[in-house]
Amino acid sequence: MDAAIEVRGLAKTYPGVEAVKSIDFSVGQGEVFGLLGPNGAGKSTTIGMLTGTVKPTAGVARLAGHDVAAEPLAARQASSAVFQETVLDQALSGRANLELHARLWGVATSEAAQRIADLAKSIGIGELLDRPAATYSGGQRRRLEIARALVSRPQVLFLDEPTVGLDPRIRHELLDVIAGLRDHSEMTILLTTHYLDEAQRLCDRVAIMHDGRIVALDRPAALLAGLGRELLELRLDGDVVAALDTLRSNGLAGDDAFAVGSTVTLPLNGHSAADAIASARDIGLQLASISTREPTLDDVYLRLTGDRLDDAA
Amino acid sequence: MSSLSAVATLSARRAALTARTPRQILVPLLTPVLFALVIAPALKAALGGLHTHVDYTAFVAIGTVGLLVPLTSTFAGLSVIVDRTTGAERELLAAPVRRGLLVVGNLVVVLAVCTVQVLVLLGAALARGADFHASVSGVLWFAGSALLLVVFMYGGSELLASRIPVQEEYIAATPAVAILPWFFAGALFPISALPGALTAFAKMLPLTHALALMRYGLLGDGGAGLHDIWGMSDTTAMAALSLGVVALFAAALTAISIRAFSRSALR
Repeated sequence: MDAAIEVRGLAKTYPGVEAVKSIDFSVGQGEVFGLLGPNGAGKSTTIGMLTGTVKPTAGVARLAGHDVAAEPLAARQASSAVFQETVLDQALSGRANLELHARLWGVATSEAAQRIADLAKSIGIGELLDRPAATYSGGQRRRLEIARALVSRPQVLFLDEPTVGLDPRIRHELLDVIAGLRDHSEMTILLTTHYLDEAQRLCDRVAIMHDGRIVALDRPAALLAGLGRELLELRLDGDVVAALDTLRSNGLAGDDAFAVGSTVTLPLNGHSAADAIASARDIGLQLASISTREPTLDDVYLRLTGDRLDDAA
Repeated sequence: MSSLSAVATLSARRAALTARTPRQILVPLLTPVLFALVIAPALKAALGGLHTHVDYTAFVAIGTVGLLVPLTSTFAGLSVIVDRTTGAERELLAAPVRRGLLVVGNLVVVLAVCTVQVLVLLGAALARGADFHASVSGVLWFAGSALLLVVFMYGGSELLASRIPVQEEYIAATPAVAILPWFFAGALFPISALPGALTAFAKMLPLTHALALMRYGLLGDGGAGLHDIWGMSDTTAMAALSLGVVALFAAALTAISIRAFSRSALR
């Protein structure tokens, strides 16, 4: 599979801050790739460098074979972006915003009109197009921005936290829109998010970023497999880090166990939950609640970006 | 996409946004029109004008072009900050067009707005009885000078907008950039009436050169303002020199502002 996005040694340093620390990844044509990580992990900076709005300190990035630094116009011609913050001409109508994108990306006027009509219908903003963008709700603006990014039929689409700040219903509707793109086009999509369910649902592969580095990169199923089939969650009274250390020193928890807040999460790795709970009680842990469940990408993320990060990285 | 198409698209966008805020066009006109219609005739009546054959109302009408253009250009610079903070700047930066063309696209609209405003101002002065002496070559001197003044002032506004992060700070800087030079540039009186040191300072202002050129073009004053600057006998040579000064400042500020915008837009 040819790479639609190729990143080698990409780094960005602001005065006093290493926002992105020499990351490498490639994304195949038609692939949906997720960049996951907490706020400040370097996801948006990475998107900025790929879209040419952030100047890299080091490294190389290619979009559709074009070096974003050496051939910026060709790289930008091949891509579109939906940025984390709203980036619209609020005083102009939705249609004017879409037409502007079409003209800047060189789409013929007659072709643009048809594409705008089709996109507005499929994304559900047909009724709104002639209203000023300032009158749109948050979800409607997001839809408009997604439609705008699609007008030029980019080879590479960047979606930077596309659902952040939206209410759950709108968020799920928008996920359906993005899932539709995935299912019905050959477009390569790079999605950043800190909603793990989005990544699990939409992405072929995900890279987890933390502190400017990629700490894991694989298919969601492969990342989940690393935590086994079942997790035991122990909610504790008292010092949870000390409790995790006690569990480890007694052989009840391995390197894949992690603590977040007042909860210790233990992959059972085939052991009995009842035995693990009894052992935890035997060593004197004060258990406020106990539950078992299947692992999710949240657990992978928390394990890698939580207290076990240094070991994981 | 060709550079011409890109500029046409970017200018159409800026024009559409400007048309939605007509106050941006009308408000800068108020003070210059007030000067041309009320203050200049009142000063003429009270003080007797310039004591030359030049009509003082016409003299001030052209002088107020030197207030109108800087005000309009500086207010247009605010749009750059609005684009950056709440508008579509990142979308434009991600577009497959050279970043310098974003500045040029804005400039085209400022030129168009200033053209309309200057015509309104001169029309109002004419209606009030101002006495202009226009010839074809005079109109060309006026137009060239006014055009370069707009380019110079807008370059400065773009530069300022690239350097100043928020609207509040930008607005605070506006009087110093748009109004202060006007008092020294011979807008209401010849610069020879200023104390010697201030006359020397006024000669360094592009606005002084622009106003002297515009008056040379439309007042039939024989290049009195140009003579105050250069002290030469060849009026055409003085006009060419002043035009060169304004052109130099316009080209330099445009180049610097494009560079500043391109650098500041990248994070």
